[in-house]
Amino acid sequence: MSTILSDELLSGLMAVGQLDVLVGLPTLNHSDSVGPVVRAVHVAFNRELARERTALVNVDGGSTDGTPDIVRDASIVDRETLVASQSLRTRHRISAPYHGVPGKAAALRTIFAAADLLQARAVVVLDPEIASVTPESVVALARPALRGEADFVSPVYTRHPLDGPLVTQVVRPLFRAAYGLALQEPLAGEFGCSGLFAARCLDEPAWDTDDLRLAIDLWISGMSAGDALRVVEAALGPRRLTSRPRPAVTSLVPQVLDALFTSLRLQEGTWTGRSRGHAVRRAASPPDPLDPPPTVDSAGYATLFRDGVSALGAMLAPVFRPPTLEGLRAAAAPDRPVEIPDALWAAAVQELAAAHRHATISRDHLVRAAVPLYLGRVASFAAEVAGLGPREAAERLEALCLHFERCRGDLVALWTAPAR
Amino acid sequence: MAEAILVTLRETWSGYVNGLRLVIPRLLAMLSVVAAGWLIAALARAITRKALAWLRVARLAERTGAAELLRKAELPPAERLAASAVFWVLFLGFLLAGLDALGFATLTALRLELGILLPRVAGGVVILAVGLVVANVVWRVVLLATVNAGWPSARLVGGAVYFLLVTIAAAMALDHVGLARSIVVAAFAILVGAVMLAVAIAVGIGAGPLVRRLLDGQLAARSRPDTDGSSHL
Repeated sequence: MSTILSDELLSGLMAVGQLDVLVGLPTLNHSDSVGPVVRAVHVAFNRELARERTALVNVDGGSTDGTPDIVRDASIVDRETLVASQSLRTRHRISAPYHGVPGKAAALRTIFAAADLLQARAVVVLDPEIASVTPESVVALARPALRGEADFVSPVYTRHPLDGPLVTQVVRPLFRAAYGLALQEPLAGEFGCSGLFAARCLDEPAWDTDDLRLAIDLWISGMSAGDALRVVEAALGPRRLTSRPRPAVTSLVPQVLDALFTSLRLQEGTWTGRSRGHAVRRAASPPDPLDPPPTVDSAGYATLFRDGVSALGAMLAPVFRPPTLEGLRAAAAPDRPVEIPDALWAAAVQELAAAHRHATISRDHLVRAAVPLYLGRVASFAAEVAGLGPREAAERLEALCLHFERCRGDLVALWTAPAR
Repeated sequence: MAEAILVTLRETWSGYVNGLRLVIPRLLAMLSVVAAGWLIAALARAITRKALAWLRVARLAERTGAAELLRKAELPPAERLAASAVFWVLFLGFLLAGLDALGFATLTALRLELGILLPRVAGGVVILAVGLVVANVVWRVVLLATVNAGWPSARLVGGAVYFLLVTIAAAMALDHVGLARSIVVAAFAILVGAVMLAVAIAVGIGAGPLVRRLLDGQLAARSRPDTDGSSHL
């Protein structure tokens, strides 16, 4: 434990004593966004969690923009605090660097180790990239574990079904099919958990692997599919990201696919042997989104899909089974709209996952070659739900997930088959 | 007369017998060397195949695209091909040593020439094989990058890069073997120079405005993938 925690952090934690709620905030050059997050945490500490022993632990990966100073100095200026209950306990705010290679995995390990050391009953991890963090969302993530009702609390955002297609079309259905856990946001960077869950994660040997660095968020979600763990989803309202530059979709898709498939590989011992699903309790259904549906450049995506299948067909031949490759080629025919049905999409995603597992071709090339296929599916889904309301479109997403679940046997067979 | 014939016959036959006495041991020596060489080469082939299978060379070949190349050329898988190469190099070495044992001056000269040429040919084959694998990997990288960037002629660009790298590898291999070195260098220079000159004239002078209009039209008509992918998460 002491090797995970830096001396500076250890000395800060020694002064805290036992805790009820530990909020962990991993940062790296987040000076532009961390202030409101810290203030939201403090409002939650002084209002809804006023009777609990709480601490905010900021683990920083070596920011050069003064992020730790902002965390230490962030004052509670929110006018809501004027009517907040008087704090009944000492509020702790610790900001310290962590050991190891900078990255979220090392930061989370440090937060879990701190929670374990302080015997925290509930742990909340926040994402400084999310600008919509409110005191209510901090409480929503902490409360179920604090009451002993959950081991893992995953967020649910109010989003249009066309928003976040990388999650809705790939991550959510494949995660659900593999782990048997119907999480809406398995890729979310913020979550709540019990101290027991944190300790269980700490015991895993995967922390010492490089693979975990890129798959940490999904790996944590996958850990919640463990036996006898209670999983709850908490509705956090709309999600807004901070306005910093983000990678283009052509970089983002390979990153997320690599993380998803790596996470499946790291936890293959648990999910391939499981025969039935795992219940998720939803604390409250999110309301319908008020924002208009995001615009999808269907024509542009369709062109990229057609060109991609035409140019990369030979490269993808060892990846896909002949019917799947034929189906994709037929969907890319130039004389008709792109249409990738659920069955074809489920087969394509599962075969991509298995090819990544067996390194049928270079993993880097594989996830990059998947970009045009993903864009084609987004174009196909957007055309399919055009004119439908959010509720009907959400039902289509549920149908997709169910289709993936029905093909689970295929996924396991492909995954566990000897490398071709 | 009869005596002369008998002497001639005796001398002739004794010459043949002496020759056979000289050749048969050498022939047996050659056969034993070749047989031993065949056994050693076969053993080396088996060991090589096992070792390459243990090292998962087949998977490496798939990942680098070498397996795809071999399939296209209707050649056996990489580990079998490498094992066969080991077998034939060893067997040819023993065969030449065996021929040397016969003691014929012509065969000895041939062996010496082959002894110089074979390592060069082997080196050339290795250069060509490495060049093909590198060209295949670079082709994949370029093709993926151009497809994902929405370039209109991704296959053409990828193919051109592949052709250029294979041409360079082939020129290097031929240069290493030392076959018609001056012709190879001149042909390579002429080929590359001609292609570059043709492209320069076509794009720069002859059809500059036309090419610009064509590219503008194609690129403007195509949308590029989102530069900010946050809406996909």
